[in-house]
Amino acid sequence: MAPRSKTRADVPEEAGDDATMQDAPPSHQPAADDAEDAEGGEAGDDEMNEAEDYEEEEEEPQRVKLLAGSTATAASFEFADEGHTLGNALRYIIMKNPDVEFCAYAIPHPSEAKMNIRIQTYEGTTAIDALQKGLQDLQELCDVVAEKFWVSRNEFMGESTPQPSHA
Amino acid sequence: MSREAYQVPSTSGGAYTGSGAPGARDLSLSEGPLMQYICSDCAVKMSLRKNDPIRCKECGGRVLYKERTKRMVQFEAR
Amino acid sequence: MRPTTAPSEAELDSRKIVGINKETVTDVTSTDFPGHYPGEDNSWDINTFSSGFNVQFHQNEQFEASFSLIGIDASLANAFRRILISEIPTLAIETVFIENNTSVIQDEVLAHRLGLIPFKGGKEGLLDFLKWWRKPEPGADQYSTTFDFNTVSLELNVECTKNPAADPDVESDPAKLYHHANVYAKDIVFTPEGRQSQYFDGDKAIAPVNPDILIAKLRPGQEIRLSMHMHKGVGSDHAKFSPVATASYRLMPTIDIVKPILGADADKFARCFAPGVVAVETVTREDAARDDAYEGHVGERKAVVKDPMRDTVSRECLRHKEFDGKVKLGRRRDHFIFAIESTGQWDSDELFLESVKTLKLKCKRLEKQVVNMVR
Repeated sequence: MAPRSKTRADVPEEAGDDATMQDAPPSHQPAADDAEDAEGGEAGDDEMNEAEDYEEEEEEPQRVKLLAGSTATAASFEFADEGHTLGNALRYIIMKNPDVEFCAYAIPHPSEAKMNIRIQTYEGTTAIDALQKGLQDLQELCDVVAEKFWVSRNEFMGESTPQPSHA
Repeated sequence: MSREAYQVPSTSGGAYTGSGAPGARDLSLSEGPLMQYICSDCAVKMSLRKNDPIRCKECGGRVLYKERTKRMVQFEAR
Repeated sequence: MRPTTAPSEAELDSRKIVGINKETVTDVTSTDFPGHYPGEDNSWDINTFSSGFNVQFHQNEQFEASFSLIGIDASLANAFRRILISEIPTLAIETVFIENNTSVIQDEVLAHRLGLIPFKGGKEGLLDFLKWWRKPEPGADQYSTTFDFNTVSLELNVECTKNPAADPDVESDPAKLYHHANVYAKDIVFTPEGRQSQYFDGDKAIAPVNPDILIAKLRPGQEIRLSMHMHKGVGSDHAKFSPVATASYRLMPTIDIVKPILGADADKFARCFAPGVVAVETVTREDAARDDAYEGHVGERKAVVKDPMRDTVSRECLRHKEFDGKVKLGRRRDHFIFAIESTGQWDSDELFLESVKTLKLKCKRLEKQVVNMVR
């Protein structure tokens, strides 16, 4: 329960006496306009700009890796920051592919956020294609589940509310 | 006298010379810095030195607090 | 390749049953893979899945929903459940700035308690307007990544005082003797910054879901003065961000009475199950005509399965000699009875939909990554 960081506020320590913290209110959070001003005074013509820039800054690093020793029809992939959630679902859908001879997933060590998938296919296709097909099939499946779930929900509620559009 | 017997901490650092009640009355009252305390019973503020009896000067209560810092303290809610 | 054959309906149904015996279970793993049954297809086909998949709602309240997903594999049902618990974002208190806390509850404990309080607010603001908060680079200003679109600030300022109207000789309830003897979640004040006042206006304001959560107890002279920052987060980071109190599923139980259970045995059999699962009825002429086993028992009492969904799969009936060989217990491997209880920031039915969309988005992103990897 102990907090990971228990940092004192960034107050200049004046001779160690318990000075009241007047100069830096703790909850000071500049609104977007403040920040824009600070950045060099571009007029706040489009308020959303900053939020979008802020989001876009994060370019996703490569999280899928082909492991050493892989051939075209027998390959191992390493997924960073994925676990049983995707691992098992993907394993299932790849095993449903008749061109796949073998598919399994593993989390080599619980304290490393990595998930490995092994795919072996018959001749005529590649493990990478099987992986890609698996990911596509899962997306298709999700669409069907979402659609049927909401139709059933509306029937139960006696409504015809459209699916919420966010996210 | 047993070596494990309680010894009143003293600035002289020597072993307990032991004569009479362990009260350390013989030590100078003006030694050590003044500390601010608050009585838990009557909330009166008082200053005590190192060897002063831990006792409220108003009501005689023996539970004293130090005052909390006036600084903001930041925590992660985890 | 051999021509694909289609197994009978009864065969397909029996493949879906997990056997539950007195001490053992059987047929636990899925077998619907290509190559498992010679001559059968079983490969992935969206139309086959679509026609076999079905959702049945049992209950749908704002914060509590129960429904069945029928015709889906455990790996997928489990993926949705796991996403519900740990990957759907909510807003929660993350940082607490304590100006003063003279209560008996320690600062870090108080901060931890505050973090666990579930909050609600306008959907549009929570889902569209609010973005992720990023930790500033080391050395950068603590608030350099803090904006109105990723941080919500709250305040809690309470001081306990004596209530002069209450007579301490008569009254013994601290809540009446003092003002603010109890600090509740409703004492937390939302302080909108920037555009938050538009998105979290009126009844859309950021507020605790349950106003009566007790945070601390005070006595006269004690006070709590603090402010807080809320950020978006996910349950895998900390449980306080989990949008659900529980999200779980169980498999649909099956109870198959193979041979008639009659007379006093029927009552005993019914008592082996949770109320409403097994009923006792009278054997009718039709029963006797339909099933040889009931012949000559017209008018007697028999046990019938009424509602297997309510069964707890206690296996009590397997402990009694008189039911030996008369009953077969099992569970349907592809029938998941979900129960989702929201903590209040999301509606429970929306939550499941969100988990499905999250899985889809995850796959979409990773598909791009796979393409990227090949390049």
